[in-house]
Amino acid sequence: MELGRKVGHFFCLLKRKYVWLFFLAPAVAVLISIVVFPLAFSLILSFYDWNIIRAGGWSWAGINNYRTILFQDSYFRSSFKVTLFYLAGTVSVQFGLGLVVALILDQITRKIIGFLRTVLVLPITMTPVVVGIIWRLMYNPDLGMLNYFLSWFGFSPVNWTGMPGTALPSVMMADIWEWTPFVALILLAGLQSLPREPYEAALVDGASSWQTFCYITFPLLSPAMLVVLLIRVMDSFKTFDLIFVLTQGGPGMSTEILNYYTYRYGFKFFHLGYASALSWVLLVVVTIICMILIRILQSRGIYAKRT
Amino acid sequence: MMNEVVWIKVKKTILVAMAVVVFVVILFPPMVLFLTSIKTELDALSFPPKWIFQPTLENYEHIFQFSPFMKYLLNSLIVASLNTGAVLILGSLAAYSLARFRFKGADNIAFWILSVRMMPPVAAIIPIYIIMRNLHLLDTPWSLVITYLTFNLPFAVWLMRSFFREIPREIEESALVDGCSDFSAFRKIALPLAAPGLAATGILTFIFSWNEFLFALILTGSKAVTLPVGIIGYMKETGINWGYMTAGGVLALIPVIVFTILVQKHLVKGLTMGAMK
Repeated sequence: MELGRKVGHFFCLLKRKYVWLFFLAPAVAVLISIVVFPLAFSLILSFYDWNIIRAGGWSWAGINNYRTILFQDSYFRSSFKVTLFYLAGTVSVQFGLGLVVALILDQITRKIIGFLRTVLVLPITMTPVVVGIIWRLMYNPDLGMLNYFLSWFGFSPVNWTGMPGTALPSVMMADIWEWTPFVALILLAGLQSLPREPYEAALVDGASSWQTFCYITFPLLSPAMLVVLLIRVMDSFKTFDLIFVLTQGGPGMSTEILNYYTYRYGFKFFHLGYASALSWVLLVVVTIICMILIRILQSRGIYAKRT
Repeated sequence: MMNEVVWIKVKKTILVAMAVVVFVVILFPPMVLFLTSIKTELDALSFPPKWIFQPTLENYEHIFQFSPFMKYLLNSLIVASLNTGAVLILGSLAAYSLARFRFKGADNIAFWILSVRMMPPVAAIIPIYIIMRNLHLLDTPWSLVITYLTFNLPFAVWLMRSFFREIPREIEESALVDGCSDFSAFRKIALPLAAPGLAATGILTFIFSWNEFLFALILTGSKAVTLPVGIIGYMKETGINWGYMTAGGVLALIPVIVFTILVQKHLVKGLTMGAMK
């Protein structure tokens, strides 16, 4: 009887200690089997040559795929440049414009905030493929709105997405249209949650509005800014739908960011070994950049380990 | 004094004018999409664009009659619903565990889950394609239901974790003292209290599944094609059928817009995975 109670007590303690595991295990098991396992598989595959539509199986390639990517593949290099240009261009413009929009709305929205917000969030959750269709329609050289507006001022039509010089800026402009509202929405929320006291103090001290912005708004808003930056940088690497619909990476390789280049190697040329190596290079680049941003965020207490 | 009042009024007017410009820029492109979808082919192809025309629903009728649009719609609905269900079950359990129980490594696990969300999908698509091919799941809704967990599950765990954290711990502790098991404390107390947050998470998950394109493009071929891939199918080598494509686009957007308005209150929190309110 006594022993029975002790055993029961022991199991009770065991249960208390490991109950978290029963809650957590299913999700972790799923993520391991659909993320960790596939990534490990692709890491192995990246050391082989394998073309899925050609006869013959895997043949060992050692580090050849990686060597080719890093030292010989001039297309990779150009794609890498396009990626960095795309990332820097879109994120910086979205950030600047988004901040301006947020500051404007913060001044006037109190009464009509509901309606303005509804409009602002539309591009964010819109199906990206449909955003691509919308902009393909706008950019259409024969019947698009942009050329129509140009014709008002007597300009001749431009083949926006069809020329190497304008294709990349065109895709970037669509991306900026899609994601500037996101930056504005988050920064607006940040602005509206700022404490009022520092502003009152600044007013009393006779600070100019520029000084108020530089010394109060900017530092207080920096956590929100960092969150926005992290999310935009991380998602910018994933841009696929817009490019697929607008240019398919062309003309030439002018809009082919790494994401798209990897996709083409894997599913247009079916060089799955080489594409796996490319995807690992991309993964490492993304991870390094995101880790740096996350460390900065964590040092400010956001996404922090201990909260 | 008078001058100051005038100046404030001028400033207000300028700000309002700028805001109006912003909203015209946001609303104009989708409006063009909608207008094109209710034009006849002749009107749609005219340049300069026609602003006054006889609206027609023929594009909408045609995509249902002459293309498998209904099938795309159903596939999208099936994939997004099943995926959302799975995400809510798995995600709420894991989020509760990370929000409530104290154990070694909890933070590292949470952080690892967050890092999964950062992975570019193209990195996972090659192995997942091979695995799905070997499991004979290509071109079935299941391949997408499973694959969409890669980005939706980490998202949901983080977001729901922040919702669970907002519930005072004391309520569940008193239930535990009253002899409630951990699971029933979760099911009967934490879940109902976090219900609005969970609903928001579910809606966002649904939208992300509904919108997804890359995985659907690669993993489906004909039977399980979802809306985004189906609509792109109206873009042929021989030319684009603008009527079909814009009508399909408008129909794809309707549920997204409705859901977005429903979830608006939680959108900032949702889109930053709980980092901001």
